[in-house]
Amino acid sequence: MMTLTIAIRNIFRHRTRTLITLFTIAFGCVAIIFVHGFFEDALREMRDSYIKAITGHLQVCKRGAFDKGFARPLDYIIDAPKDIISLIEKTPGVRVTSSRLVFSGLMSTGENSVSFLGQGVEPQKEQSVICRSSEDFIKLMRDRSFDKPDVGGVTIESGDSLEAKDTYSAILGKGLAKNLDIKPGDSIVLLTNTVGGSINAVDAKAKGIFYTGAKAFDDIALRVPLSTAQTLLRTEGVNNIVVRLFKTEDTQRVKELLEKAFKVHSWDLEIRTWDEMSDFYTKTKMLFYQQLFILEFVMTVVVLLSIFSTMNMAVLERTSEIGTIMALGTKRRGVIKLFMYEGLVLGIIGGLLGMGAGWVVIKMVSTIGIPMPPAPGMTFNWISQPDAPAKTYVLVFFLSVVAGLVSSIFPAYKASRLEIATALRGNA
Amino acid sequence: MSVVEVRQAAKTYLMGQIKVTALKGVDLTVEGGEFMALAGPSGSGKTTLLNLIGGFEKPTSGSVRVKGTDLAATSADALASLRARQMGFVFQNFNLLPVLTALENVEYPLLLSDKFSASRHRDLARQALERVGLSGHLLHRPMEMSGGQRQRVAIARAIVVEPDIILADEPTANLDHTTGEEILRLMKDINRVSKTTFIFSTHDQKIMDMADRVVRLLDGAFVEGA
Repeated sequence: MMTLTIAIRNIFRHRTRTLITLFTIAFGCVAIIFVHGFFEDALREMRDSYIKAITGHLQVCKRGAFDKGFARPLDYIIDAPKDIISLIEKTPGVRVTSSRLVFSGLMSTGENSVSFLGQGVEPQKEQSVICRSSEDFIKLMRDRSFDKPDVGGVTIESGDSLEAKDTYSAILGKGLAKNLDIKPGDSIVLLTNTVGGSINAVDAKAKGIFYTGAKAFDDIALRVPLSTAQTLLRTEGVNNIVVRLFKTEDTQRVKELLEKAFKVHSWDLEIRTWDEMSDFYTKTKMLFYQQLFILEFVMTVVVLLSIFSTMNMAVLERTSEIGTIMALGTKRRGVIKLFMYEGLVLGIIGGLLGMGAGWVVIKMVSTIGIPMPPAPGMTFNWISQPDAPAKTYVLVFFLSVVAGLVSSIFPAYKASRLEIATALRGNA
Repeated sequence: MSVVEVRQAAKTYLMGQIKVTALKGVDLTVEGGEFMALAGPSGSGKTTLLNLIGGFEKPTSGSVRVKGTDLAATSADALASLRARQMGFVFQNFNLLPVLTALENVEYPLLLSDKFSASRHRDLARQALERVGLSGHLLHRPMEMSGGQRQRVAIARAIVVEPDIILADEPTANLDHTTGEEILRLMKDINRVSKTTFIFSTHDQKIMDMADRVVRLLDGAFVEGA
């Protein structure tokens, strides 16, 4: 206890130096918390965009469709989806389902043709958000909930979104529309293979241009009402059931429940979660976390050197005191303990200050919001509202304490090896 | 019974390439309860001899025994325990810990020694400070006290563990003459009442006159009194 008392009082003997050290530690903590919060927000934004616009939380397909269905989507049609949808919607945690008929084909304006990835969707269940003003945009960005009773989530940039009564209408991804210079109101021809293997085409009207969070998707995708897709493909089935949950955190739990239920009914279906389908998101997350690790490493080294400098200076200045306490009977490990305590206390106080300051900074920045350019693979600007999870605060505190301990090891050892007679004369 | 036995103790330091001999094989026996002065000019080897007796450093040759323990053959940790239990120290510059109050400074050696139960530490420290006349300065830090008061705190710190021997290196050198005499009188009084052995170094003749025995050193060798 006395050792700890001495350690704490020694720390505050040189207030300016200690304050600079504590500021360095706290600054390091704030930097890590802020960047962590910023990355988390970017990833959450990306994740929610994928879930809302493309993947939903879960997708149910015939077994094999996820791996081979892209090339031959019509081989994996679920002919009677009604019972399956009914079972899924009764499962706890499920908000809504939407059936899709995914297909591919060629789109033509008469002069030019490009290939596309089509999604026959249920417009009433996949409500698109119309966003044409900065107020709409800010409202959209601030809405992080999955409360709306729809799967939807593509954002209409121009024209209108699909409605339940629409038949031969389509909304086109921003990149796809740009490719053929298509504007809302233009006529297009969609050409594809039917389930039976023949060729079929429909004339449709481009009703609107949409974008999602994923540029790659916007460059090739179009959406038509499910009934139009079924007419075009000459089928009454669907090949994909998109499931939206109340909470993203429930994804795995609901997947397991559904898998058990499908097994009971002997339905040969396969379920993929949003993260299994969002390869780009997963890789971006890994990239962000690696960058974060480098930042954490650099900041920890800075903090470590700062505490090391303070402790080393303390040993030099207090050589005579070290000699005195050793003369009085303090063992070498007692001297090590004293300096390790000082490093530990610096780490604890600095870590606590850093956690507090980090929380304040995050809250302030989050309230104001930072307008950001599109993130990698995204197509729209967004407003960053950094929000670091609790584990980040625990991490910076842990790093701060470890840095305090590690950086004091050498000065403590150096102090403990002093010769008493030499130290009493004030020579290190 | 002798508490300190120094036999043919020599100490040589290496200053760069040059060997400097601080002690040239001295012999000294100090009996329990003695109040002994080591006299001599600066550089005569007084501090070196006290350092050897205190176990702060080991002799280049010869031996130093305290209460029968050969200090040269004792580990650093065992020496620390020996100092904590059986020795007290008073330094020329007082060497109090500046971050601790007078009471805490005196309590510090009690924490290192296992002689007394922890519950008695505060009381023993208070009693030691009362004994040196500082009962009104318990919570003062060293910077808030005069040189004489600081040296009294140092003496209280030295006596609080009831050691067999107290080593004092020029305890009056940084004090004015009157205060120095008071400090010596205090040490003498403790020696008389507690029978604690005192070995102190000085080059002040008036202080020497208060000692039971004066051992004179010159150029690392005894010239009188050993």
